[in-house]
Amino acid sequence: MIAVSLLKIAIQALWANKLRTGLTLLGVIIGVTSVMTIISALEGMMGAVEAQLDRLGPSTFIATTMGGVITSDDQWHEMLKRKPIDIDYADDIEDGCELCEKVCPRSFNSASVKYGGEKLRDVFVMGSTYNLVDIVDFEVDHGRFHSREDDIYRRQVVFIGETVRETLFSGVDALGKSIRLDGKKYTVVGVAKKMGSMFGQDRDKYVVIPLSASLKQFGKPRRNSNFVIKARSVEELDEAMDQARIVLRSLRHVPYNKPDDFVLLTADAVLDQLNAVARIFRMGLVGISSISLVVGGIVVMDIMMVSVSERTREIGIRKSVGARQKHILLQFLFEALLTTLTGGLIGIVLGYIAAESLVSMIDMEIEPSMFGMIAGLSISTGIGVIFGIYPAMKAARLDPIKALSYE
Amino acid sequence: MTLIETQNLWKTYTMGAEKVHALSGVTLKIEKGEYVAIMGPSGSGKSTLMNLIGCLDTATQGEYILNGRAVSKMNDDELANIRNREIGFVFQTFNLLARATALHNVELPLIYNGSGSQDRVAKAQQALSRVELADRMLHKPSELSGGQRQRVAVARALVNDPSILLADEPTGNLDSKTSVEIMKLFDELHRQGNTIIVVTHERDIANHAHRVISILDGKIATDVIVPREQRNGVN
Ligand SMILES: Nc1ncnc2c1ncn2[C@@H]1O[C@H](COP(=O)(O)OP(=O)(O)O)[C@@H](O)[C@H]1O
Ligand SMILES: [Mg+2]
Repeated sequence: MIAVSLLKIAIQALWANKLRTGLTLLGVIIGVTSVMTIISALEGMMGAVEAQLDRLGPSTFIATTMGGVITSDDQWHEMLKRKPIDIDYADDIEDGCELCEKVCPRSFNSASVKYGGEKLRDVFVMGSTYNLVDIVDFEVDHGRFHSREDDIYRRQVVFIGETVRETLFSGVDALGKSIRLDGKKYTVVGVAKKMGSMFGQDRDKYVVIPLSASLKQFGKPRRNSNFVIKARSVEELDEAMDQARIVLRSLRHVPYNKPDDFVLLTADAVLDQLNAVARIFRMGLVGISSISLVVGGIVVMDIMMVSVSERTREIGIRKSVGARQKHILLQFLFEALLTTLTGGLIGIVLGYIAAESLVSMIDMEIEPSMFGMIAGLSISTGIGVIFGIYPAMKAARLDPIKALSYE
Repeated sequence: MTLIETQNLWKTYTMGAEKVHALSGVTLKIEKGEYVAIMGPSGSGKSTLMNLIGCLDTATQGEYILNGRAVSKMNDDELANIRNREIGFVFQTFNLLARATALHNVELPLIYNGSGSQDRVAKAQQALSRVELADRMLHKPSELSGGQRQRVAVARALVNDPSILLADEPTGNLDSKTSVEIMKLFDELHRQGNTIIVVTHERDIANHAHRVISILDGKIATDVIVPREQRNGVN
């Protein structure tokens, strides 16, 4: 009951001193906005990467020569020197790894794509076996992915990304049309759903052709190849990876006392590593931007100190009619908290808007994050308490007589 | 019934190496329903005594018993509670909250004992009616005359039905006509049964009371009953 009255008193005092309240708010808003911008942006980027990795199911892993988090130059050079993944090993893996349900070899090239008068350069060309669509979460917009028969008969069919469709077939149905990949004719059988851009990269500028057709046109890949492998179940993923590892080590003649000269990546492992990096990144950035929070807090404290000394007489009057120390303390703490919470809410919104425009520069989108909001609210509550408590205590401890005779 | 009893009260201020004795052993007794004036020249220790009686301050030495309770041993919260329930203070400078209406100023003591807002408003309105300011409830102090401000202060002092009304130079900032008005208000409140202590350095004002305690250099010099015929008030 008393607390409610004190809250009202605090609101009235804030309202009566609009300029002062505004200045304090500004200090808090600047602090919270800068921290929230960074938290939201980082959160959003991590979310996007996660969503991307999710396309690789939880029971899937990739065997490749390059990957993981690279922490040194030496590691990088060692990776560059590795033998490429030989896509002919697909059968060996399937034989040697009984827990591997599906093995999909892939090769990557780049080509220009032409239809009629339209031409698109540097299109990412993936050659894969037909089963890729069962392993990776490929969303078909219309038409279909290439089939087992297409693979076997080395048919010149192609599944195209949205950018390719848009550039070559604006207003025209792409299905059944013939396009040219570096001059070779392919028939469009399907169009992918749009994925959008990320980190400034257009992720829809690609085509997929049967691996057999890719081998025929581009030859055996020298560097850019890998396997996508799906284990029988999530539970058997680790064991499946061990089996695949044994097969690959023996095929690649890795001496028993040497580490793998390839990596097996799972979405989880990549995510863990990314998270570790993001955590350090986040701590650093949040640490730097916290300085502006401290500045905001100091503004709160400073203005409250002025307010307490200006209102010494008021405090004396309240004490003379029976206000206890805790009543005065609460009144001033409420003022601080109301200011920092309001500033915090505004800061959260502004920070989100700023983060959104920041990440849109690298073609990404973010969504409001629960973590961000909770962090923002706790931060602003924290500032209110930490920087408001000292002035509030000073007010509470004033001697009533001295306060009453204060000029 | 004894309301106030002090035993050898001392209040000493230390200013650097020097010690200032604002009160040097005050012993007095005030009964319920009395109307007392504390008189003395400026600097004699009147306000200091008043602040001790009003529990705004604690004595350096000595005993103070209010309504049978030893105040000298109380902590801050207990003193605040006594100020809230037992004491109604009226100051020379009114001490009203400038931004608040008369009604809100009068409500103030009720806020700190947790009264509900309806109860508060009802009691504050009633107190303002007692000082004949029912029609000025929503005025701010700046919109009121000196006498009206002091009446708001009196209403605030009365609102919680305190055991004593303490007034430290209540007419010090008022012209003589308004001073008489305020003193008549105290006379009336006394007639209604309130215990009243008024600090003043003016004989005219002191003579409204029934008993005058004179203070000199922090000690009680005289303590006399004012004969009925010398009283300034109506009663
Ligand atoms: N806070 C204080 N510090 C030092 N001396 C004080 C303080 N308050 C009062 N005094 C001294 O105590 C004496 C009595 O003061 P006070 O009670 O205010 O007198 P009165 O109200 O009778 O004018 C004065 O000499 C005054 O200077
Ligand atoms: Mg005085």
